[in-house]
Amino acid sequence: MYALALFFAPDSGGQIQQIADTFGVDWPHLIAQIISFSIVCFLLQRFAYKPVLKMLEQRRQQIAEGVADREKIRSELAQTEAKCHEIILQANVQAKLLIEEARKSAARLEQQESQRAIAAAEQIILKAREVAAQEHTRMLADLKREIGQLVIQTAANTMGKVLTIEDQRRMVLETSERLAPVA
Amino acid sequence: MVSGTLDNTRVRVVTERLLQTRRRGYLRLLKRFVHLLKQENAKHSAEIESAVPIPADLRTLVMDRLIAAYGPRVTSSFAENPGLIGGMRIKIGSDVYDGSVRFALARLASSLGIPAASLSGGLK
Repeated sequence: MYALALFFAPDSGGQIQQIADTFGVDWPHLIAQIISFSIVCFLLQRFAYKPVLKMLEQRRQQIAEGVADREKIRSELAQTEAKCHEIILQANVQAKLLIEEARKSAARLEQQESQRAIAAAEQIILKAREVAAQEHTRMLADLKREIGQLVIQTAANTMGKVLTIEDQRRMVLETSERLAPVA
Repeated sequence: MVSGTLDNTRVRVVTERLLQTRRRGYLRLLKRFVHLLKQENAKHSAEIESAVPIPADLRTLVMDRLIAAYGPRVTSSFAENPGLIGGMRIKIGSDVYDGSVRFALARLASSLGIPAASLSGGLK
C-alpha cells in the first residue's frame, strides 16, 4: 500500500522510479505477476476458499445443530429426569398411601377377625357352661335318684324290723284319724 | 232302700218277683240288679290291711271311726300284709286310706323320679 501511495503521488514519479531501479523492479513483469496472482486469487477464491468456507460453514452448522441437539437432548433428558423424579415421587406417595391403606385394612380386618374370634370363643364358653350346667344338673338328678333309691331300698328292707309295736299302733291310729265322713 | 240303707227283705222280694214274672230280658235285668247290689255292698265293705296284726282295742276304734264316716252298715275284714312294712291300709268302696310305710316310700320314690318297679320288691 505504501508503494502504491508513492506511485500515485504527483511528485513521486522520480522516487518510485528510483526505488524500482534500486530494487530491480521490472514493470511488465510485475504487472504480469500481479495479473497472474489476481487470477490465482480469483481461482482460489472461486474454487478453493468458497468450497472450503462453505464446507466449514456446513460443518459449523452441523456442529451448531449438534450442539443444539445436544442441548435439546440434555434439556429433554433433564425434563425426562424431572418427570422420572416426579413419577418416582408420585409412585412413592401412592405406594405410601397404598401401604397405609393396606395397614388400615389389615388393622381393620384384624380387629374384625379378633372380634369374631372373641364372639366365637364367648359362644363356645357359653355353650360349654350350658353343657356343664346341664351335666351338673343331670348328675345331681342321677345322684339324687340313686341315693334316694338306696335310701328307699334300705328303708324298705330294714324299717319292718326297726318299727316297734308302738310305732305300728301309732301309724294305725294316724290312718284311722284320716277317715272322713262320706259327703 | 230304707232310710238310705239296703233292705235285705226288699231285695229278696224284688229278686223273687223278677224270677216269677219271667218277662222278656229278665235275666239281663237281674244281672244288672246283682251288679248294683254288689256296688252298694262294696260301698259299705271295708278291707283293712296292716303290716302286723291290729290289737282288738284298735280294731274297735277303727270300726267306730268307719261307722262314724260311712254309716252303721259298714262291714269290715281285717287282713295281715307284711308287704306294707308298717301302718295300715283301708279300702272302702272307691276310697282308699293308705297310711302304710310302703305307700310312703313309693310316694317318696315317685317324687325323686324313681320308678317303683326299679326297687326290689316293687313298692307298688
